[in-house]
Amino acid sequence: MQQILHGKNDTENGLRDQVLRWKEKYDRAYEDLDNAEKILEHERKTSTSTDSGSIDKQKRLKQLNAYLGLTDVTGAGIIITVQDNTSSKLVTSRDLVHDGDLRAIINEIKNIGADAISINGQRIVSSTVINCAGAIVQINGEEIGAPFVIEVIGNNFLNYNIARPGSYLYYMMEDGIEVNIKKSDKITIKKYNGVLTNKYIKNAE
Amino acid sequence: MELKKGKNIMIVTIGLICFILTYVIFIQFKTIEETNITEIKTMTETDLREKIALWKEKYEETDEKLKQTNETISEYRKKREANQEAIELLDKELIQAQLLVGETDVKGDGIVIVIKDNEETTEIEETTEIKSQVLLHLVNELNAAGAEAISINDQRIINMSDIVDIYIEDGSHYIFVNKEEKIVSPYVIKAIGDPKYLESALTTKTVGFMDIYSENIVSLERQNNIRIPKYSGKIEVKYINMEGEK
Repeated sequence: MQQILHGKNDTENGLRDQVLRWKEKYDRAYEDLDNAEKILEHERKTSTSTDSGSIDKQKRLKQLNAYLGLTDVTGAGIIITVQDNTSSKLVTSRDLVHDGDLRAIINEIKNIGADAISINGQRIVSSTVINCAGAIVQINGEEIGAPFVIEVIGNNFLNYNIARPGSYLYYMMEDGIEVNIKKSDKITIKKYNGVLTNKYIKNAE
Repeated sequence: MELKKGKNIMIVTIGLICFILTYVIFIQFKTIEETNITEIKTMTETDLREKIALWKEKYEETDEKLKQTNETISEYRKKREANQEAIELLDKELIQAQLLVGETDVKGDGIVIVIKDNEETTEIEETTEIKSQVLLHLVNELNAAGAEAISINDQRIINMSDIVDIYIEDGSHYIFVNKEEKIVSPYVIKAIGDPKYLESALTTKTVGFMDIYSENIVSLERQNNIRIPKYSGKIEVKYINMEGEK
């Protein structure tokens, strides 16, 4: 069993260990960052004065961080579940949900109006990449598989408009892809599990 | 009689063993399936090296952000101990958030790609007139190559930007970005990031963007000091419940 799980040779074993080690290091750093951000929020609140100017600035900072995907957020919206066509006897490419399908659905959600979106817990941020990695989909570098649960905090019309005739989801349903849309008054979407970098962009104002 | 009883016991025993074996095999299959999806997956050496690079980069970025955050924390504390106003610290944090979100003009090195509709009819319908899906594909590829700011015909692409096709009754077609901005061919896409990395991601043989849409490509070049304008609208948070303090 060990043999099968751990591959053919020592090089690959060593590499696997390294993957796990770096991921562990990252997980620990991420947890530390999470704690530091909580402390920072507290410090910010107690250190800045209570005049309306600073309160507005604090509010705006909070809004932007929420929009960027850097904080956990709550609001009303919809939950869309998209599942491969399992009833098909002979499974063809059209019976499966692909990375391009997810990109198209997310794009239509943004068009109708949303503030926060996640797919299987992966927050959509400006630098998010939705790619295919063989038989599975990769989002934010993490591998995820069907069923895809898309959570959206967005406007009231999402419920009706996201699968209206002519929409991308409408055609997917016609192809036999199982789609379920549920409205919810309270959805919580987790923050992005990475950081947004600015190594190359400089303020030009 | 004795013989028959013995035979029965044997049958039951064999049956039981078969059952247990099947059960164990099933559990093994399940375990393999689960491990496959999460961690151990039968990856090739190249895949594994890519994964290491990915987690290493994510670690370094997170660690850097952690250092910055701790620094900001201690700056706030220092101000408080000295009984000073901390408003400029708050301003600094706000400017950083505005930079990331797309509320400021930015500059930096990167690449500029020009693509256009193909007037001649080709066999592949997709390459004739550029549709929103092509631009979505390109944005995704640029992000995969680490782009930090992207614009299409000077419209800044931000987190909730959409790119959609609008068909008019006479059969003509337009692309709209950021809900209300109409853009037309030729499309000039600017991206700021590591120029070498951005270029090589698009020029991968066969599966790269440049090869897939070769009929539409006008140019691709690295440039220094590219300027990308800020988002033209106001970035609003409309649907998130901001009152729900934790």
